[in-house]
Amino acid sequence: MPENRSETNTSMGAEKVSRKGFWKTLGIFFALIGPGIITSNVDNDAGGITTYSLAGSEFGLTLLWTLIPITLALIIIQEMCARMGVVSGKGLSALIRERFGAKATFYLMIALFFTNLGNTISEFAGVAASLEIFGVSKYLSVPVSAFFVWWLVVKGSYKSVEKAFLVACLFYISYIISGFLVKPDWVQIKAEFLTPTLHFDPRFLTMAVGVVGTTIAPWMQFYLQSSVVDKGLKAEDYQYARMDVIFGSIIVNVVAFFIIMLCAVTIFQSGIKIETAKDAALALAPLAGKYCTWLFAFGLLNASLFAASILPLSTAYTICEAFGWESSVNRKFGEAPQFYGLYSLMIFLGMGIILFPDIPLISIMFYSQVINGALLPFVLIFMLILVNDRRIMGNYVNGWILNLICFLTIIVLIFLSGAMVYTSLR
Amino acid sequence: MVVNSSPQVFLFLSQILGKKIIDLTGRRWGRVSDLVVTTADLYPSVTGVLFIPTGRKTPSRFPWHRITEVGDRLVVHPLAPEDQAEATVAEGELLLKDSLLDKQIVDTQGAKILRVNDLHLLNVNHHLRLVHVDVGLRGLMRRLGLQRAMDKFFQWFLDYHLSDHLIPWRFVQPLSSSDFLRLKITQNRLAQLHPADLADIIEELDVNKRSEVFQSLDVETAAEALEETDPKIQVRLIENLNPARASDIIEEMSPSEAADLLGDLPKEKAEGILKEMEKEMAEDVKELLVHPEEKAGGLMTSSFPTLPPQATVKEALDLLRQQAENLDLIYYLYVADEEGHLLGVTSLRGLLAANPQVSLSDLMDSRIISVGLEEKKEGIATRFAKYGFKGIPVVDEANRIKGVITFKNLLEVVAPQLGK
Repeated sequence: MPENRSETNTSMGAEKVSRKGFWKTLGIFFALIGPGIITSNVDNDAGGITTYSLAGSEFGLTLLWTLIPITLALIIIQEMCARMGVVSGKGLSALIRERFGAKATFYLMIALFFTNLGNTISEFAGVAASLEIFGVSKYLSVPVSAFFVWWLVVKGSYKSVEKAFLVACLFYISYIISGFLVKPDWVQIKAEFLTPTLHFDPRFLTMAVGVVGTTIAPWMQFYLQSSVVDKGLKAEDYQYARMDVIFGSIIVNVVAFFIIMLCAVTIFQSGIKIETAKDAALALAPLAGKYCTWLFAFGLLNASLFAASILPLSTAYTICEAFGWESSVNRKFGEAPQFYGLYSLMIFLGMGIILFPDIPLISIMFYSQVINGALLPFVLIFMLILVNDRRIMGNYVNGWILNLICFLTIIVLIFLSGAMVYTSLR
Repeated sequence: MVVNSSPQVFLFLSQILGKKIIDLTGRRWGRVSDLVVTTADLYPSVTGVLFIPTGRKTPSRFPWHRITEVGDRLVVHPLAPEDQAEATVAEGELLLKDSLLDKQIVDTQGAKILRVNDLHLLNVNHHLRLVHVDVGLRGLMRRLGLQRAMDKFFQWFLDYHLSDHLIPWRFVQPLSSSDFLRLKITQNRLAQLHPADLADIIEELDVNKRSEVFQSLDVETAAEALEETDPKIQVRLIENLNPARASDIIEEMSPSEAADLLGDLPKEKAEGILKEMEKEMAEDVKELLVHPEEKAGGLMTSSFPTLPPQATVKEALDLLRQQAENLDLIYYLYVADEEGHLLGVTSLRGLLAANPQVSLSDLMDSRIISVGLEEKKEGIATRFAKYGFKGIPVVDEANRIKGVITFKNLLEVVAPQLGK
């Protein structure tokens, strides 16, 4: 909205032309970014941080190089989602419903609900773990954070929610700072990062699959596409959506890089065995100083809280969109009962299960990863069919080169997910 | 629902799709893949059947009247080559599965966008008609083949009889893009909605559908809906139109709404539209455009009644009656001299109660509450709250009346700050 109407009436054609170019592009970019960056950052959730910490502390720098192909795969997959969102104006679950019918959609949504519930549980586990490092009991930290997350969305509006999320993205810097605090040997890191090494040791392979699986998850595709649609981007703005996706995918892996590296140069080198992200944070204190532990724990708390609010939200959105139920943060509870009902149910269950004494946390997180891995191939195949459908995508369908790359990426991911499901069920 | 061989009265599309087609001689023809209806009737009747012939992948089409029995299988008279045609859809026809099933529709009675779970058909004397759209949970369960299990569960667990959620076809506006354009001339049911509801629905639609729906509306409905739409979406909708159509729509809006909208448009587009508009309206809007939107000058409308002091009550009432359709505010009549200096105000109530022969100078209240062109919205809101007016006149430095701010105009700028 113009500040002053008289401005629009005076001639400013000449001025406008000169202002176009770099600054204008940058301005548009910042107005349109968000979806890609938020999605990618949620990706580094409690499960992600745990996996990266384990990868670093068990295998040192040897897994670092996998982040390069993972980044590329993430960009390729998310780019398709962003493109579908911009061109069709519809979310992924709506497209799947319209193209593949009620039955396929229903079972897909059921699977997605349980996967995301499993992920939400692990987010609350992350909250509990990180605050225990600061000496807060989980019986206090988990209900308070669950209520905070619930209140943010149910009582807030879209603007306040998005702002809170963008601020949360900034806090991932704590991992990068921790990475610099330990003064690592950059020459060696660079060498390890750029030379792929592969051990045919089942533990190593499982971990590699875990790193891939935690970075590329089914819910992300739904969430990203819906937020692109929510932003109301037009086909002409597509280039900015693509920049956003690429930018986000790189950032997520930069954070992952620093976590793996941090654990590799400290915990791995001193030969300590850890099982959780909390162990990693605590192990850092004698090796890198207590500030490093605090930063690590704070990053985990931020990531867990952030993902604990997005995952239920994304699930509720996705399911409501598939079944045509009212869904918007800007509605009141009574106007969108299914939406808020699903959202509240997921938070309530996520919180309740964590508070249960003697809950087998590790196996819950584990099986949620397994369903994640089992679900991903279906989502990817649906996506590939949709993105090649001219009735939906018009001239924005994949070209044959892109199709080939997508196809290969998907084959590799399906193979890895299958391997993960197989090894975990064996 | 048990499917038996006696003619059924009600059928669901999900029960017909995929059925085997067999002719009286026992020959198998294939499976039903879709039904074609003609939309000319209030309740569209099925005219054709699309089927996938056994062993082929692409569908063919045959006329509905070839069918003799709808039961476990569709029994047809033997199909001659001339009965079969390519699976094309003509003008005024609609494919039930392709354009309705699983797609979004607008329920014009409930003013909601819903997704279709199933279609409810009525079979009378071999005429199959589309009567209801099923948007309920039970319809969804039927699609999954779990309807009976679900019914039993509800009965046993909650002692509740789950019923179908059906919407009569006459309250349904399909939204599927290709068919939407085809149907728009014959039956645009969106015009039945209240403009505020229509605006909500437009806001909820996706970007592509939004402009399709908007372009299908007649000028008046479009203008009414546009007034109620979020400013950002207003701009998008107008940007997609050509200047001639945009100006037709904007002319139907009140000057203050039109000015707000044009002020938000890119300069070239706004000028293009202003050029196409009627001169008088364009002048009004241009005057309003000079003022910032958040101040009195930008909030006011230029469409209000004024008369000189020597006019009589009868003249005043005649003026209001003639202009009522076009005025943004009719509750007050402002009294001003030839140069426009504001002298007084009378209310509609006062005019109705007064003797028709009395002159306005005798009737008017000269204790005028007005605001300057530069007054901010907070100041205006305070005055509305204090005096309880429906409108406040806006005057320039020389006390000449420039416009009137209606309560509705004020509410639109203040409402976003009221919180949810």
